[in-house]
Amino acid sequence: MSLRVLDYSALPTLKDEQWRFTDLQRALGDSLLNASPQAPDQVLIHKSHGQMSDKAEEVVWIGENGVHHQPRLKIVLEEGTQATVIERHSGEGAYWKNCGTEIVLRANARLNHIRVQNDSVESMHTDMVHITMESDARINCFSMNMGAKLSRHDIHTAINGSGAECMLSGVNLLKGKQHGDSTILMEHVAPNSVSNQFYRSILDDQAHGVFQGKVHVHREAQKTDGYQLANTILLSQGSRMNTKPELEIYADDVKCSHGTTTGQLDEEPLFYLRSRGLSEAQARMLLVQAFVDEAIDKIKDGSIRNQIKEIAKQWLKEQLNI
Amino acid sequence: MMKIDNLHASVEIADGVEKKIIKGLTLEIKSGEVHAIMGPNGAGKSTLSYVLAGRDGYNVTDGSVELDGVDLLELNPEERAAAGVFLAFQYPVEIPGVNMNVFLKSAVNSLRKQRGEEELDALGMLKLIKGKSKELGISEDMMCRAVNVGFSGGEKKRNEVLQMAILEPKFCILDETDSGLDIDAMKVVADGVNSLRNEGRSFLVITHYQRLLDYIKPDVVHVLADGKIVKTGGAELALELEEKGYGEIVGSDEEAA
Repeated sequence: MSLRVLDYSALPTLKDEQWRFTDLQRALGDSLLNASPQAPDQVLIHKSHGQMSDKAEEVVWIGENGVHHQPRLKIVLEEGTQATVIERHSGEGAYWKNCGTEIVLRANARLNHIRVQNDSVESMHTDMVHITMESDARINCFSMNMGAKLSRHDIHTAINGSGAECMLSGVNLLKGKQHGDSTILMEHVAPNSVSNQFYRSILDDQAHGVFQGKVHVHREAQKTDGYQLANTILLSQGSRMNTKPELEIYADDVKCSHGTTTGQLDEEPLFYLRSRGLSEAQARMLLVQAFVDEAIDKIKDGSIRNQIKEIAKQWLKEQLNI
Repeated sequence: MMKIDNLHASVEIADGVEKKIIKGLTLEIKSGEVHAIMGPNGAGKSTLSYVLAGRDGYNVTDGSVELDGVDLLELNPEERAAAGVFLAFQYPVEIPGVNMNVFLKSAVNSLRKQRGEEELDALGMLKLIKGKSKELGISEDMMCRAVNVGFSGGEKKRNEVLQMAILEPKFCILDETDSGLDIDAMKVVADGVNSLRNEGRSFLVITHYQRLLDYIKPDVVHVLADGKIVKTGGAELALELEEKGYGEIVGSDEEAA
């Protein structure tokens, strides 16, 4: 089944503040602009009272050449329930995967969400994530972005209940002419909640990374703790990173901080390791791996954590010629 | 034997701007000997240690450096390490996220590979690291932490000695190993160094103060000023310096530099 052709003039352009670093229309090109969108593929994960399972749920989205996919994932955790969801993206050829993710956490619900985006390097990946949290809910989201010609991961969290905790972390591994954009809006609406954003990026060749993170503390959201950190290592002269950290605070009793760094590997630790006999490539590998692993360590589940570390390690080995 | 002949070196202080620091330094250290280099601030002591270890940005403009006939200046830092050079850093570098055990394993096996020796397996490595750290009184807890991260000043210097013990170099440079140490920590570090003294290994101990040389007894003491050795003598020269200061020996101009 085909839906009607989208009105592409409504797509965001570089003139939209939130899209100033990511040129969606240009990257889509003619072929994908003309592809008819498929009917949404929908997956619903719903945990209601008393349904307890330690087993991780896996959702796999596979892209096909020439197709405009519309995956829709909805996760609803009722009061006091918990779940672990692993979302994997892959595919072949040129396609546009335009995802919509909705996460609803009722009071005291706990979600671990791990997303591995390894779409084809010819593809486009956009994912709009909406998270709403009620009181004392907890979420721990980790995202590995390493695929797609252009990817945009938008996360919009509304912390509507007090005592909630939202941990967002991610690793971007980009090479060639890849473009990867993580854009986050963290809205603290209710008091006494905690949020944390922790992103690490490695860019090689002519890759372009974007991190835009905003913490918005509403007037009623007293005692908010909001942290944000985005660090990037550029492995090549041609790679670049745009970061835009923002704090918008209307309450007067909060703790918020943000920081971003972008640069090459430090010369000092590199020399220290080489003076002990490690080759330059080995030393770089060890340092870059440690940098990336610090973000992967935010994943709670040990076996998933190791799996993701291994994926990152293979990518780094290839880029650093080890 | 370490042979430094008429060494001239400069440091890149900005893009394309170089400053001459070492200006014709000649030195011979026979295997098994301990030489001390003392000198006022700015004499070129730390520069000398970086030049010998091969750090980027430290450029040799003239002269030669040979360790047992191997031209070190042709080699990059890791090849110098394989040739037997070890620099104990004045300020050991903190490396977050890199575990001590992983670091030591990588270093040992990388050196063995370069030297054409077989790499150690996990068990052999465990034995080596455990044995040496026990000898030097280093806790297992320290071995599970990231390299130098959260280490006290004493722990950092002990860690340098541990690496020296494990990597078995032929020529060790101790760059102001006494800086930042209290007397007790200095004794521990000196004992560690003394236990590594043997006929096949030589040491270059760089220091401001005579105090460290009470514990690590040098065979020869050199005074470095303005990039050159200006005086050489026995252990008694260090005592003389302690008493009179550098001014009298190197001249007041150089002291100001």
